[in-house]
Amino acid sequence: MKALSLLAACLALQGCASVGVEPWQRDVLARPEMSLDANPIDAAIDDHIYFSKEASSGGRGFGGGGCGCN
Amino acid sequence: MNDDNNLSATLAAATCALLGASAAGPVMAGETDRWSFDTALLYYAESDDRVQDVSATIGAQRAFEDDRLLNLTLTADTLTGASASGAIASDLPQTFTSPSGRAVYSTPAGETPLDDTFLDTRFALNASWTQPLARLYTVSAGLGFSTEYDYTHLGANVSLARDFNKRNTTVSAGLAYSQDDIDPVGGAPVPLSQMLDVGDGSNKLSSDSKDVLDVLLGLTQVLSRNTVLRVNYSYSQSSGYLNDPYKILSVVDGTTGDTILRTPAPGVAGPTGIYLYESRPDSRAKHSLYAEVKHAFGAPVLYGSYRFMTDDWGIDSHTGEVRLRWPVGDASYVEPQLRYYMQSQADFYHPSLVQGAALPAYASADFRLGEFDAVTVGLKFGHRTSGGNEWNARLEYYQQNGSISRDQLIGNQFAREQYPDLKAVIAQFGYRFGL
Amino acid sequence: MASPCEVLIEDAPEALARQIAETAAACAWRIERKFSRYRSDGVVHMINSNAGRPVVLDEESAALIDFAATLTTMSEGGFDITSGVLRKAWTFDGGSAVPTQAQIDEVMTCVGWRHVQWRRPVLRLKPGMQIDLGGIGKEYAVDLAAARVEDIAPGVSCLINFGGDVVARHPRRDGQPWRVGIEAAAKAGTAVRIVHLTRGGLATSGDSRRFVLHQGRRYSHIIDARIGWPVRDAPHSITVAADTCTQAGTLTTLAMLKGMECESFLRASGAKYWIQACPASPQ
Repeated sequence: MKALSLLAACLALQGCASVGVEPWQRDVLARPEMSLDANPIDAAIDDHIYFSKEASSGGRGFGGGGCGCN
Repeated sequence: MNDDNNLSATLAAATCALLGASAAGPVMAGETDRWSFDTALLYYAESDDRVQDVSATIGAQRAFEDDRLLNLTLTADTLTGASASGAIASDLPQTFTSPSGRAVYSTPAGETPLDDTFLDTRFALNASWTQPLARLYTVSAGLGFSTEYDYTHLGANVSLARDFNKRNTTVSAGLAYSQDDIDPVGGAPVPLSQMLDVGDGSNKLSSDSKDVLDVLLGLTQVLSRNTVLRVNYSYSQSSGYLNDPYKILSVVDGTTGDTILRTPAPGVAGPTGIYLYESRPDSRAKHSLYAEVKHAFGAPVLYGSYRFMTDDWGIDSHTGEVRLRWPVGDASYVEPQLRYYMQSQADFYHPSLVQGAALPAYASADFRLGEFDAVTVGLKFGHRTSGGNEWNARLEYYQQNGSISRDQLIGNQFAREQYPDLKAVIAQFGYRFGL
Repeated sequence: MASPCEVLIEDAPEALARQIAETAAACAWRIERKFSRYRSDGVVHMINSNAGRPVVLDEESAALIDFAATLTTMSEGGFDITSGVLRKAWTFDGGSAVPTQAQIDEVMTCVGWRHVQWRRPVLRLKPGMQIDLGGIGKEYAVDLAAARVEDIAPGVSCLINFGGDVVARHPRRDGQPWRVGIEAAAKAGTAVRIVHLTRGGLATSGDSRRFVLHQGRRYSHIIDARIGWPVRDAPHSITVAADTCTQAGTLTTLAMLKGMECESFLRASGAKYWIQACPASPQ
């Protein structure tokens, strides 16, 4: 099972090797709003609100929490 | 060179003689800000005078040479208002002992009982350090601390990322551990014990704790010149005291569905019905799968994400979110935001408990463990100043719509409001600047 | 120019980008050919090989000589285009080899702008003298290249970098400044600081590997033409931003000549500057 998942991971990485861009094609990706962590404060506030109102948390990053609100 | 203005003027004149009038204009240069700040002021208000929250957050980031980064986040939070206790509405007014065990509060007939004794101030501090480790590796470690009058959290995390494929692929793995101490007002109630009269603390323990272990595996992949994808799998294992110490369940008649009445001891105030404190399992394992995509259509940027979560409490949830950042003019943008969330109920979710029936091992009437869906619609507006700073404002509306399956309702309960919808407005103002 | 030159062009059609790069390169090659002392077909070689005889200079060369003369006045003789011959006596390899005072005195007989007859456009060096425009040629070239590029592609956002002498005439397309790293003295290839350049010139003087240690003190590769000795206790590097790269380069040179007092000089000049101090410098 372990070997199988390792194999799957290797295959996935192989697959990834065929997509992507060259370093000089990163103009759009380099824009600040294209960063996956462009708005960390917004994300933290959302995580905190939804953590205290819903049964799910985290996913994007670590599970949030650290709050007696749930 | 006694006169330095003279020096600059002489130099400018000599340069002009050499180059002709070829300079484009006065120089505009400056150093990269050493510190960048991201601040936000948040106002959260639920309808019907329920929870209100005002919070302030300051995030500070300091970049050092060689891509090393220090991140600090400080949050102060003030919460006031009432929240649903878990007890069901009744045709009679209901009286409850407050969590402190020193007073009572009442709910009028026909209304969902709300515990209005909530008032909390919370401070949270997070610090993290990120730096490259060898050529393709990045390591990050963080510490978190937060304190409330009844709760203390201490956490640590570490993660390692490796780039592949011309840095188009990043694989990461992280581990987080936290240890939380819960010291509820009036003590932590014994699960499924009955709410007692004022002054009787025999069912309260002093304090308790829980710990949470999180494992996060991530893959970030550049799909094209303007598309990037992230997929995360996370596993979270909580154990210890996982109850909400302030949540109760009504004990009802198996035929009418009405709350069983009770009379407080003579001369003391106390609950007028039978209410039991909730009991949740002392462990919970959650798995979640999260995917997000960012795609630039020229200047506008679309963000979409989906999360599936499942846990061993029987809760499954789906969350979808889209945001479209649309530039307006050179320096501003608007960003409509839409989020949809739905969850199934926990196996031990019971709107009420039936008198005389066998008591389940675990039971909670906390609406957050019930079945509901929720929608958030919002709009953000941001503007970059000529100095390179940004201010932004966000307004959101959040609404939960709960549903309780009919086989969990009894008798008169069908006629009453069982699951009050939660409506909230979220207003946020932010300012980003550098020093 | 014995250093890498690059042009960063933002969002221009390929044909135009090619034209911009060729224009900048042509400018660099032309200035190098004309003013390098290593080129036997250039003006500097012609002047040096005719020391003792009057030489008639063209407009551009005369303007550069005028500029150099102004610099000599401004630095009270510290900067001097005739001081290049002192490099025969001094080797800056990080070691501690120091010429004897007698050797220096001998070379100094051929150093000094005051020995030069300059009546534009006629220049006459004393026999044995040589000039070297290395201290100003590169900055002049990059300013000139930027002006030429502006002529053929007005408004196109690009950054021209001739071996660390940098000019930008426009911000980036999104209105943001260009981000230029200042190389760490101790570690080639890493930036100690990032300078945001929206418009203007940026020049850096200094090199961690070109110095000499003598009696426990560090002598930079900048030679004070008045005494024939290198400047003592100058910082690792000085970077200045100014309206043009020529002004920026001049200010870094003048500041270097001030040694330990460079910072107060730069502060008084009103220019934007960044100094990489020399931690090993014993006081």
